[in-house]
Order: sequence, then C-alpha cells, then structure tokens
Amino acid sequence: MVGPVLSPILLILVPLSAAFLIVLLSSVLKQHGPVLAFLALAAEVVMAISIYPAAAAAPIEVVIAGVRAPVGINLIADPLSMLMVLVVVISALLVSLYSFSYIRDEQKSRYSALFLLLVTGAVGMLLTGDIFNLFVFFEILCISSYILVAYHRGGLGLEASIKYLILGSVGSLFILISIGMIYGALGTLNMAHIGANIDLLPEGTRLAAAAFFLVGLGVEAAVFPLNSWLPDAHASAPSSISAVLSGFVIEVALIVMIRVAGSVFQITQVFPVLMVVGVITLLIGEFAANRQPTLKRMLAYSSIGQIGLILFALSVGTPDASSGALLQVINHAAAKSVLFLVAGYYIMRTGSGRIEDYAGLGRKMPVASFLFVLAFLSLIGVPPLLGFFSKFSIITSALSAGTVPSLFMAGLVLVGTVVEVVYFIRVMQVLYSSRQQSVSIESGIPAGALVSILLFSLAFAAGAAILTPLTQAAGSAAAVLF
Amino acid sequence: MNQIFTVTSLMNIAAFGLIIIGLLAIFTQRNIFKLIIGLNLADVGVNIFLVNAGYIDGGTAPIFTDGIRSAQIMTDPVPQALVLTAIVIGFGITALALGLTIRLFEKYHTLDVKEMRGLKW
Repeated sequence: MVGPVLSPILLILVPLSAAFLIVLLSSVLKQHGPVLAFLALAAEVVMAISIYPAAAAAPIEVVIAGVRAPVGINLIADPLSMLMVLVVVISALLVSLYSFSYIRDEQKSRYSALFLLLVTGAVGMLLTGDIFNLFVFFEILCISSYILVAYHRGGLGLEASIKYLILGSVGSLFILISIGMIYGALGTLNMAHIGANIDLLPEGTRLAAAAFFLVGLGVEAAVFPLNSWLPDAHASAPSSISAVLSGFVIEVALIVMIRVAGSVFQITQVFPVLMVVGVITLLIGEFAANRQPTLKRMLAYSSIGQIGLILFALSVGTPDASSGALLQVINHAAAKSVLFLVAGYYIMRTGSGRIEDYAGLGRKMPVASFLFVLAFLSLIGVPPLLGFFSKFSIITSALSAGTVPSLFMAGLVLVGTVVEVVYFIRVMQVLYSSRQQSVSIESGIPAGALVSILLFSLAFAAGAAILTPLTQAAGSAAAVLF
Repeated sequence: MNQIFTVTSLMNIAAFGLIIIGLLAIFTQRNIFKLIIGLNLADVGVNIFLVNAGYIDGGTAPIFTDGIRSAQIMTDPVPQALVLTAIVIGFGITALALGLTIRLFEKYHTLDVKEMRGLKW
C-alpha cells in the first residue's frame, strides 16, 4: 500500500454534497453552477485514480457509523467496482465539460445538480455492500435520469420520461419484493452475508427472489424484453444525457445485476439462459437500429445491441470472457459517448434528427465527423481500435468455452456485427455525400465540447497502446465476478 | 385451518393482491392517472409485504418501555425502517410522475397515452 488511502466514501459524498450545494447556492452561483459540478467531478476523478491501486491490491471495506457488517451498512471498493467507478467518473467529467456549451438554457444549476445526483447513484450502486442501500442508490440514479430525460420539456422528452418512469418503477418494486423475501428468510441485508448463507434458503424462494431481482435490474439494464423504454428515453434526452445513459448507466445496472446473480444468489445455473437472452437482445437491437431513420434512435438501438453483447460475454461465465466484456464496457462508454455528443451538434446545427438531413456534414464539421467515424469503427470492432480487441477476446473466449450452443451464439454475435457494418455504411454515405446541405451551417463545434469529444476518442483510439494494463485491470476485475 | 389464516399469511395475500391489481392497471390502462394509481397500489402492496417480513404474531412495537424489557416479543424494526425509506421514494416518484403529467397535458390536452404523438406505448 502506498501512503494513506482516501476513503472510498468520499466518492459518494463529494458529488452528493456538491449537488446540494449547487441548489443551495444557486442565487449566489448564478450561471456558474456547472463550474462547481465540473470541479466536483474533477476531484472525483483524482480520488478514484488514487484509490484504485490500493483497491486493486486488496478490497477496501468502509465501515459506516462504526457499526460493522452484517449489522451495519458497508461499502466495498474492489477491483471490479473501482474499475467501473473510474469509467463512470471519467465519462461524467468529460460530459460535463461538453455540457458547458451544449446546455444553453437559463437554469444550468438544475441540470448540474441532477447530473451530479446521477453520478452519485451510479457510484453508490457500484460501491455498496448492502442490498437495501443498493436499492436506494438505484432509485437516486433512476429518479435523476427520469428528470434529465425530460429536461428540455419537449413533448417527446416528457412522454419518454413518463414511460421510463413507469417501467423503471415497476422494476424497482420487483427489487423491493426480492429484498423482502431475502430479509424475511435470512434476516440480513448485507450482500456478503446473504451470499454466505444463501444455502439456508429453500431452492424455490432463492430462485424466486433472484428472478425478481434480475427482472428489476434488467429493466434498467435494458435487457430484452424489458427494454421498450430505452430507444425513446435515450433518443429524446438531451444528447449529453443520452451519452451518459448509454455510456455507463445501463452498463452499471448490468454489471451489478450479474454480480448479484453470481455472488449473492449464486445461481450460475441460469447463466445459459442469460446467454441466450443476451444474444436475442443483441440481434434485436442491431436489426432495429438498422431500420431507424433518426440518428439518435439508431444509436439508442445500437446500445441495446451492445448491452446484449456484454450480457452474452458476462454469462459465458469464464474469467476471459468477462474480462473481454469489461473491455467492451470501456470501449462502449467511450465510443457511444462520442457518437451521441457529435450527434448532439449535428442536430443543433441542422435542426433535424433525421440522418438524411446530414448530407455533406462530414466536410463541414471535419474533425468531429472524423471522430464520429472512428467511434463507429471501434463499436464495429475494426483493428487497431479498442473495440477490435474487446470483441475479439469475447468471441475467442466464447469459442474456447467449446460447447455447441456457445459456438452457435458466437456465430450470431458475428451476424450482429455484420448488421452494424450495414447501418454504419448507410450513415457514412449520407455524411460524406456530395449532395448540398439545404440549411447553411454557420459554425462547427465549440472548442470545449470538441476537447471533450477528443478525450473520449483517445480512450478507444489509443486503447490498443495501453492494452496490457487495461487487460490486466479488466482481468482482475473479472476475477471478482467468478 | 388456523395455520393458514395467520395474520402474516393474510397480510401476504393482501400484499400480493394489491401488487397484482396495481400491475394489471399499469399494463392495461391508457390514462396516465390510472397508470400512476396502479403504481401506487403496487407500491402499497410491496410495503405491506416488507413490513410483514419482520412481523411477529402478537409482537409489540420495537421500543423499550416500562412494561416491556425483552426484545423477544418485539417485531423486527429493520423492515419498518426500510418501508419508511420506500414510502418516501414512492412519494417522490408519484410527485414527479404527476408533475410530468401536468406538462404532458399542457402539450397534448389529453391524458390518454395512446393519443400522444411520437412514441409507441
């Protein structure tokens, strides 16, 4: 261990208190709420980076209010949760940099406060070691994302938000039912304690509780068939919010879901089912993406496809496949953020959401469009971008698992990739077509937003250069899962 | 006979009855208000189920008073604390949903989700 390590509880405290400070001081801060949010997130990134090495060496347990688990509530910072926390806070920092110029209304403080609450929820869900505490952070995450989806108060955003709210709340009810069943039978809420005593549960109760929990989190993770809200919510939200919703929110829910299934309920026997669900989610997402006329809906369906791929990889159940899945989480967080953030300015500059209206934008916004293409290529998995290595390791480890169904499903994953290529080419044809743009584009992308997009792109473009440490981090994180 | 109709099992039946009614409302109704009411019914059902998880037949409130010095006959306070949290969260969600409903009504002048533009329900 190197020197005294900061307590991981700060990772939750800092964004939470900054969110309240922004609201309290909104009359003093005026238009500068986002600056405070940016500073809080920058501190968050620094703290997460400084905590990570210690957590990777040995899991850090934080005892809250001096009461030890299983009676008290604890936080666990291990390689998996800290890796995901890093993904969350770095994405959030870059998106908040983008939001400086992208969010242009009067009440920026409200946006910043909600954004920080969303980060609090995501970080809390990853770090907590208590199943009811998990529910509370899950609700913080959900409620702030419902509001942020409707942030512009357009008809579509409001509709998407209430649809998301109703389905999301049904999901949280299911989680509560599961918590009630566990507590009624075991009398504990601590995840490690439940995991150690799970054999005391009758098989029926255990499967029912697990099913309620998985369905509940599955709604937020957008697993088929619980994902009908996602294309609406992710397409109607402000683009900066779409970027975080697609970039890390659904991934956090998915990782927590697999983690609870594996280490709390220990129901590895259902993983083949999850594998099939993952491949179905992947194919439905990619085929639906191919049919979309609007760019953001296409990207949203592509996120469903990617979540399917990650679920598939995680439920293969080998450390190699899981480490590939975590690499894919990193790749998707970076690439999908770039796609949504660039799409935000495409929409702002042309005033249209439809792909056909973006004719010739590739030449009018050259840098952004180049990064847009690069991000798409990384999602497809073209070498030497990070996406190639993650997809490659997912496929090879699924193949080396060797069973006939996993071979078959690895083939279906490749079919999904082919569909991705098809709609990628469709977008490219429009972006770089020589047809004249009817609306004249007066300006490109502001410098701050462009810097944020550039830094996101670095993650997948240079990811191959730092592949060894990345794979190591993903590997040690995957070891926690199994 | 007496074994089946304990307070706990009756409460559980009531709880799951409410949850099922609420979910049915959510998946069959088209009026946003009725969707929100369905959500609330299911919410109340879950809360009853949670309180029930710590209920002891004939137990007292988990407070040490003059007459009661033993924790053996008290109901479990943890689920009650959980329900308190769950009620607050449920209240927040209902308030938010109603707020969104007002905005939606201003935009579309209808509460019927099928008549709203744009999205498929």
